[in-house]
Amino acid sequence: MQAPPARHAPPLDRPGASDDAELGVENLTVRFQGLAAIDDVSLKMQRHEIFGLIGPNGAGKTTLVNCLTGFQKPTEGRVMMAGRDITGWAPTEFRRHGIARTFQAGRLFPEMSVLENAEVTGVGLGQSRRTAQAEAKELLDWIGLGDKLDVPASALAYTDQRRLGIARAMMLSPAFVLLDEPAAGMSDSECEDLMEIVQAIPKAFICGVLLIEHNMRVVMGICDRIHVLDGGKTLAEDVPEAIQRHEAVMAAYLGMEA
Amino acid sequence: MDRILSNIRTLQTPVLLIVLLAIVSGLASLTGSDAMATTIAEMMIRVVVVVGLYVFIGNSGIISFGHISFMCIGAYAAAWMTAAPTFKQIMLGGLPAWLQTEQYPFLVAMAFAAVLPAIVGLALGGAITRLGGIACSIATFAFLMITNSVYANWDSVTAGVSSIIGIPTLVGPWVAWVFAGVAILAAWFYQISRHGLMLRATRDDPVAAQASGINLVKARLGAFVLSAALVGLGGGLYAQFLGILTVDPFYLGLTFITLAMLVVGGMSSLTGAVIGVIGVTIIVELLRMFERGSMGPITLPPGSQELGLGILMALILVLRPTGLSGGRELKLFGRSRPAAPAAPEAAQAAPAE
Repeated sequence: MQAPPARHAPPLDRPGASDDAELGVENLTVRFQGLAAIDDVSLKMQRHEIFGLIGPNGAGKTTLVNCLTGFQKPTEGRVMMAGRDITGWAPTEFRRHGIARTFQAGRLFPEMSVLENAEVTGVGLGQSRRTAQAEAKELLDWIGLGDKLDVPASALAYTDQRRLGIARAMMLSPAFVLLDEPAAGMSDSECEDLMEIVQAIPKAFICGVLLIEHNMRVVMGICDRIHVLDGGKTLAEDVPEAIQRHEAVMAAYLGMEA
Repeated sequence: MDRILSNIRTLQTPVLLIVLLAIVSGLASLTGSDAMATTIAEMMIRVVVVVGLYVFIGNSGIISFGHISFMCIGAYAAAWMTAAPTFKQIMLGGLPAWLQTEQYPFLVAMAFAAVLPAIVGLALGGAITRLGGIACSIATFAFLMITNSVYANWDSVTAGVSSIIGIPTLVGPWVAWVFAGVAILAAWFYQISRHGLMLRATRDDPVAAQASGINLVKARLGAFVLSAALVGLGGGLYAQFLGILTVDPFYLGLTFITLAMLVVGGMSSLTGAVIGVIGVTIIVELLRMFERGSMGPITLPPGSQELGLGILMALILVLRPTGLSGGRELKLFGRSRPAAPAAPEAAQAAPAE
């Protein structure tokens, strides 16, 4: 894998601008009509790490990502970045302050070209089309889509769509990127290719990665720390080696897969 | 040299469309009939209106049933500026003095016909672009009904159900063609601007657009205001084409036919908007001739025109949902691309299915 483009230059007024800034939630609870999707969860991630978020289906992983990006307002608790309370911000404000995400279903702009898909994030964040295009090309080259710039996003192969989703999120070097099952539905070898890219992100962009992923081998292999959710509650948070030995986790989650 | 080439590529679509309109207009004027000149002038005015509609509907994906209100507002704005002062003083006592006693030049009137609807569009759009989707469409329909009843009943400024007369008829086929060109260029420059790109992203996926930092309301509002201005300009031209103005034409019939033009041509490209106007105009004219019995032995019953248009729209929606243009733009030169280096991943990445 070639070296990713180095253009880490966050604007100074971003709360996440300093390299040791943290993103997290404190005592977060989300209830849908009385039913708790997330129940009193706290976590914190740094800009230099890959932070795994795992748990069975319905554990509340996507809801948590939605809270961390402004798409879901918490019922209780706070969302914090660099010591600042950012609960209740709109999704566009989260993105402007350097918190980017991808979606489980991809959610590309199907009628726009590959280049435009990435370019539009730059434009949405205030760049001119020309500047955004230059940056988008650089990123797409890095992620392996440099030869498909004019292809409509809807015509891309599945794995390429996932790459494009990540490139779109990495425009203007966010401080944190939240990847919601980027490798869902991929074969093992496709998944490994994609994870090489994910693994390069923290160093290349000084960007913290939150990764939701079901492939345990991958998660254990590339995450620095792992947070386990079950039924909306925190089951454990630790380094991969410890998580693998954690009894409650084995019973609740890994056991189900065996 | 590269720059010139890239400018040609960028501008080819609007230029080709404007040339296409000139050719249609030129061919039609060969017949030399007055009726044909009237048809062509009306067609050019509809290009202005439908291109205006396209700016909002095509780029945002939200159908508006209310834009003919802007045409109405623009038409009356032009009439207030250019109708004979003697008439205005007797019939339109509610107008402010600067409108009542003066008669302004054509271009000033056209500017007013664009600016007034834009202001109304800004106020209205601020509220309804927050809705999005079908709720927004229904709100625009409510706006159509409100405007219609206000203009039909506000006797002191619109002459109510009677008409405003004495508007100078300065708009013929070629004057209208110039304005059609202006509208096409405005729509094109909007479409390729950063604002156009952002709005198309919200059309494709509003949720992902927010994750790209795009403010949905701002993106939609910009297009809504520009589109109101262009449709209003079309209304101003219409007033100065007819010379006499009532509120009746600015309602459901015109709403339907302009939307039909956009759908038939293909609502996701500027080419579609222009082709749709030309195509529907030709078909409606042919059906009209059959109705009048001027096409030889076959005479169609009255009403065939509406029926034919309805059938055409249904056929297009079934057989070619993206319209005659297929959502593409008219182009002679493709986009030049630098020779792409083979990406290392490309070879390994196999499609999932």
